[in-house]
Amino acid sequence: MWEQVKQALVDSTARFLTRFANLLPGLAALLIALLVSAVLAWILAAIVRRVLAGLHFDERLGRWGFSSLAEWSPMKSPTRLISRSVAALVIISGFLIGIAAFDFDWTHLFVQKTFDYIPDVLAALLVLFVGNILARFLARSVLIGAVNLNLQYARFLSIGVKWIVIVLAFAMALEHLRIAPSIVELAFGILFGGIVLTLALAIGLSSKDLIAKSVERDAKKASSEPVEDPLRHL
Amino acid sequence: MQEPTRDANVEADPGLQLTDPTADQIGSADLVVGILAESDSNAIEKVCDALRRLPGPLRIAVLHDDQQQGPATANSEATQEHAFVFHVPSLLAKRDAPVTGILSVSETYQSVFSAAEKLQARGCCIIASKLEVATTPWAWRIAQPLFESQADLVLPHYARRKFEGLLNASIIAPMMRALYGKRVNNPMGPDFGVSQRLFEKMLAAKAGGNQFNSMASLTPTALCQNLQIIEVHFGSRIYPATDWSNMSSALADVLTPVFVDMERNAPCWQRTRVSVPVRVIGEPLLLDQDSTAVDTRPMLESFQLGNRELQEIWSLVLPPATLFELRKLSRLSVEQFRMPDELWVRIVYDFALAHRLRTISRDHLLRSMTPLYLGWVASYAHDLTVAGAMSPERRLEGLSLAYEAGKSYLVSRWRWPDRFNP
Repeated sequence: MWEQVKQALVDSTARFLTRFANLLPGLAALLIALLVSAVLAWILAAIVRRVLAGLHFDERLGRWGFSSLAEWSPMKSPTRLISRSVAALVIISGFLIGIAAFDFDWTHLFVQKTFDYIPDVLAALLVLFVGNILARFLARSVLIGAVNLNLQYARFLSIGVKWIVIVLAFAMALEHLRIAPSIVELAFGILFGGIVLTLALAIGLSSKDLIAKSVERDAKKASSEPVEDPLRHL
Repeated sequence: MQEPTRDANVEADPGLQLTDPTADQIGSADLVVGILAESDSNAIEKVCDALRRLPGPLRIAVLHDDQQQGPATANSEATQEHAFVFHVPSLLAKRDAPVTGILSVSETYQSVFSAAEKLQARGCCIIASKLEVATTPWAWRIAQPLFESQADLVLPHYARRKFEGLLNASIIAPMMRALYGKRVNNPMGPDFGVSQRLFEKMLAAKAGGNQFNSMASLTPTALCQNLQIIEVHFGSRIYPATDWSNMSSALADVLTPVFVDMERNAPCWQRTRVSVPVRVIGEPLLLDQDSTAVDTRPMLESFQLGNRELQEIWSLVLPPATLFELRKLSRLSVEQFRMPDELWVRIVYDFALAHRLRTISRDHLLRSMTPLYLGWVASYAHDLTVAGAMSPERRLEGLSLAYEAGKSYLVSRWRWPDRFNP
């Protein structure tokens, strides 16, 4: 019996060692891939950082209306954010290459699924980016237009418009990523409706006095003699 | 000289294109008069009658938009005593909508220039405004210097009340004076006399594209090409009533071609140092100044609201020192509020620079200037309505001098926008 136990142990050890030996090239490949990608990431990040610094990217971004991006960035520098994102992308790619080196079915499947998912991620990022630009542009248009119409709640209107567009873009991005689509749809409906209702209530309540004043002013105007505005601009 | 056909109302293409047969049928003219002001048949006939009484053998083509007006009915040919006037409405660009925006106005001007070129005219004049008291023949008064003084551009010098033409008085006229070195009072007309040499240049420039505005670019083109400019004294024109709800659109509409020209002509105006007056013909007409009080409170409220809410936009355009001054101003009461000319001039120059650099969307930029402009108007109204106030002429002369004094600031910022940022 001991002979059989001994044999089973030897067989198991041999199988384990064989499997481990089979795993070693893949592990080495993963380590090398990670090492190379880290070096490549460091070089690429340095190049990107230098190019963006040369283009005064941080200042330009501020001028284009993306000053809030600096707040989310490491050391308040969007240049660093982009260079680090590039580095992370390269390292992730290296990791995927390393994983693919293992000769297992599940690693192949994992890599394949990851690569299949990349177009969705890119599309979601694009939707977020365009949504952000659009939100800022519309917010600025509304702010300037409302100030020129002498509306005291100009800022509030502008923020409302900005968040409506951002929420819409975010929901579209999540839809692309196929993350809990039914929940996203429901949540978006509630959130969007909530923002619109909040805006309507806020404007309605704050304009109550304005409308009263306006009616009062119109009544006064009607009772008094019409005064001609002597200003001619054009 | 070729005799024109009496039924010269030949249909042309609806746009600016003129077909050769039309021009051949009409023949040639010495002067082309484009009547762009809204006028009925009687008013046009009065202008034509006045033109017919002009001395000398002149052939005058009248372009107008009144479809009911038929061909000339009076004298059929030019004699030594009288001019011959004939109508060519078909050569004027036709629009479905009324001519309102500065772009459509520019296209109509362009069609007058095209017609003048087709008719080989020696000059053309454009009547785009109505006078309070029509002086006859005022179309000829604006065309006369083209023939008798070899002028290339004849500009109107309207008699104005203190609160009329404020956009021109606050920005366009003093800035053109400081930039190009000639003291013209109404660089954007809208009534002009244009020589053959100048309208040919305008047509060539327009063909080159590049956002060329046939109305706004006339005076800068003449100034940069060193062409002869003469001003003619006119009565007061009827100014359109202010549409307060559309103020920012009007501001953006008018300033866009001015700033575009400024960018195009930068090599020209950077050489100019001082300003000189231009020759003026006629006697100035004195008007009773309006004594109606101006309510500056809404304009100040707009300025204060802008100062509160548009800081993030203004901070992209204006240097910190200017923003600080504006914040101080916004805390003043209605009675104390005064915007110094130097500050206003720097603001205008900074907006012109931001327009050139496309710091933000150009439309946003110009619209965000509205509260600042209203602040200046409020300050100007205060200056002219307080007891012992100076005359509007002296007040505006001070502003023009401030524009000239601030030009070195503009040139420095224009040349080194990143380095020179006080």
